[in-house]
Amino acid sequence: MSIAPKPNSALLIVGHGSTENPDSSTPYFEHADEIRNRGLFGEVHCCFWKEEPSLREAFYLIDADEVYVVPDFISEGYFTQDVIPRELLLTGPTTQVRGKTFHYCLPVGVHRSMTDLILKRAKEVAPDIDPATTTLIITGHGTGLNQNSTKAIRDQVDRIIEAGAGYAAVLDAYMEEAPFIAEWDQMASTPNVVVVPFFISDGLHSFQDIPVLLGIDSEVGAAASQREVFRQNPHALRGKTLYYSSAIGTERLMADVILDQIADFDKAHPSL
Amino acid sequence: MSTALKLRNLLRSGIHRIGQLEIHTDLYGYSYGVCHCDDAHLATEPAFGGLEIHEGPDDARDLSTYAEDGTYRFTKGQTNLKRGWVMVLNDEEELRLALDQFYPACVGLFLAQQGGTLEIETLREKLNRQTGMYRFARTISDAGAQQLVQQVCGPAHQCAKKILWQLDSVTPLDDSEASRFNGIPGGLPESEAIPLLCREACNHFVAECRKAAKAEFEKKAEA
Repeated sequence: MSIAPKPNSALLIVGHGSTENPDSSTPYFEHADEIRNRGLFGEVHCCFWKEEPSLREAFYLIDADEVYVVPDFISEGYFTQDVIPRELLLTGPTTQVRGKTFHYCLPVGVHRSMTDLILKRAKEVAPDIDPATTTLIITGHGTGLNQNSTKAIRDQVDRIIEAGAGYAAVLDAYMEEAPFIAEWDQMASTPNVVVVPFFISDGLHSFQDIPVLLGIDSEVGAAASQREVFRQNPHALRGKTLYYSSAIGTERLMADVILDQIADFDKAHPSL
Repeated sequence: MSTALKLRNLLRSGIHRIGQLEIHTDLYGYSYGVCHCDDAHLATEPAFGGLEIHEGPDDARDLSTYAEDGTYRFTKGQTNLKRGWVMVLNDEEELRLALDQFYPACVGLFLAQQGGTLEIETLREKLNRQTGMYRFARTISDAGAQQLVQQVCGPAHQCAKKILWQLDSVTPLDDSEASRFNGIPGGLPESEAIPLLCREACNHFVAECRKAAKAEFEKKAEA
């Protein structure tokens, strides 16, 4: 979906961030750079819950009177429904805050165009294998605290199956709730398994915790960018051939998903 | 007027420093150049004194992510910015983009303070909005928080920001080097530098509050 230039508007990309992992915020800045370079918005900024600039500091970054806020999060849940609106003082899809008009878009992870990115990433990580002999597993965090955190992944699984991508099976699995990603070999009946982490960044979970759960690493390793050798695919593990990709959010085309969410917002609120 | 144009006016008024960055104007054909303040003399020499040249603001984040010794600069106000480079910029928009990567929002925070629109958040307001594993941070005692400011903040602990917040609306910070620091490392006159302003406790401080609160709880439990 194309988007008309908005030279008088600002785009505010909101991420989680980390005070401990330098890689955590990299994708957000890359998405911002990509959109800034396309010249579609008067301004493009990032802000974070656990990094600088904070969400509250974002007010001091923006000149424009109209601001599109896009949560660069993989699911709707606590952060997108509670934390971000509270911190940015948003009360609905469009809110007047301190003399500016803020439009609050849905998080990137729930957009239907994420499906194409997952399939692209799965194909890139295992270009020569036959999907008919392959199980594709989309994996996320999972938490008993909020059912929405797994819904985004289950929706993507359904869409990939509907898209007829040819995989023998498409499954969802999680770090902290069933079905557990640690049992990937038991849930897959095919010789090949492709695992795509449904996270924005290659942070603690996708490049440190999940590799241990998969059996690729025996212990939690260094941050992704500090590794001397990037992960080597495939991995012969537990009698199967495993392909493990980097987090879906590190895909540069995520910038298009951000723009898609803005286009969808405008479509859903035509009076703007 | 845009933030970039206000920044230009600040520079014309004599300001040339923010944090550990020296801001040069009219540097060998470029409108602006920024470098580590300790390299300021090199940047004006022919061939930028041998400093590594970065054109445009894109590398600002990479240059400010790690210190010279390779450690992660988890807060941007840390006084361990690495040396040996110069960034050349074509206009104030590029300069503003670069500064917002080195010192996020700090130009805007200073302008808001000057314009009387800066809203400051007390430590209790910040802690009371923490959830998940950081929820426990809100239980820290006032005495514990006061002590932590002196153990974590200020130039003695590698932070160059001027603390604007209080513990709560009626409890200022105890007098200390950290609470007195003006946000300008290097002792420059205030007319020559944009101070780094701390309008809310940073996430590093929140994490330290959590640790201290847990220690207080365990000490009470033992007693």
